[in-house]
Amino acid sequence: MTFFRLDPEVYARHRDEVLTLSNSFQRIDRRGLSDREIAERLGLDERTVTEIRVIAERDCYPLDEWQRAIDFKRKACSDWSAAALKRPDLKEP
Amino acid sequence: MTELPSDATKRLKAVALKAGASVVGVADAAAFDAYAPAKHRPVDLLPGARTVVVVGGAQPRAGDWVATSPWLLSTMGTTERIQGVGRRIAQAIESELGYYALFVPPGTAAGDAPFMSLMLAAELAGLGARSLAGPVLNREHGFMYWSAVVTTAPLDVDGPETEAACPAPSCREMWERERSTPCLRVCPLEAGGCLEGRLEDGRAVRTAYDAGRCSTRVHTHWVGGFQKVLEETLNEPDRERRKMLVYGDFMTRTLWAITYSSTNIAQCFECMRACPAAHGLKEMR
Repeated sequence: MTFFRLDPEVYARHRDEVLTLSNSFQRIDRRGLSDREIAERLGLDERTVTEIRVIAERDCYPLDEWQRAIDFKRKACSDWSAAALKRPDLKEP
Repeated sequence: MTELPSDATKRLKAVALKAGASVVGVADAAAFDAYAPAKHRPVDLLPGARTVVVVGGAQPRAGDWVATSPWLLSTMGTTERIQGVGRRIAQAIESELGYYALFVPPGTAAGDAPFMSLMLAAELAGLGARSLAGPVLNREHGFMYWSAVVTTAPLDVDGPETEAACPAPSCREMWERERSTPCLRVCPLEAGGCLEGRLEDGRAVRTAYDAGRCSTRVHTHWVGGFQKVLEETLNEPDRERRKMLVYGDFMTRTLWAITYSSTNIAQCFECMRACPAAHGLKEMR
């Protein structure tokens, strides 16, 4: 038994479709499909769909988006505490 | 299997509240079929499942919400305390009632997909409803952490809540004035955030959501962040530059967080921090 490794070409071909159909990210308006349901729809095997989905979840954004997440939270948090505590000096520039 | 006493549900709920839950409800296991895909339903986890007991609690304190550092809530916001209540419920069902009880693991089954949606369980147990921002809010307690136990016991079920906590009255007023709400304002999709929606006939309607970006915020210093920096490090040919990435603040904080990854799973609270329905901002001294 060799270690299962996804073919990058298969990944590139199906990445967006799998992510759109999946239930990885919970939505308020509709339920996502399970990996098995996606596999049936796309004519792939379930293991391949699971691998595409898991890799695609990490591949949505580049590393820079993580830095933006940090900057966003710092600013939103300090803005909130400044407003809630009525302490404008706590606000980050 | 033993006969289920007529007051079993009431007794079990008392156990949950005594163990530290703020709220407790029971969902019909079959009710998940309409919303959850196969492998993520109670019967997929426990064959013969009839009900799901859901407990909520361990909310952040008022001081946590006004803390000046976003890293405080991402460290102190934890499912650990409510998980302990869930485990206690599972133990009580098996030892006192004699039915199978499966504590729903709080982690993920594959990638970011959970074994079973705890938010859906909370909704179906009548403990809250989804907010415009996403999290399920309880009308009395607002934002809380959830834990669930799937069981073969035919407990008395609670129906889903009919009146949602979201939108709060002040959000309805803000919408009338500004065509925005606190959560939409703090994290707007059109300005690089995650949320888009509107209020329609007094109800919250989400129109778009960037789940991928939300994941970078909710899981900034977590598994995803670790993988991203690891990839960057492996692609970096210069030894000293690799060291800057591996020893830097991002990787260090991420590794601290990952060591608590089974309990400390959310790291962005900004839509909930601004939400009047998530926590009553009381006057404190």
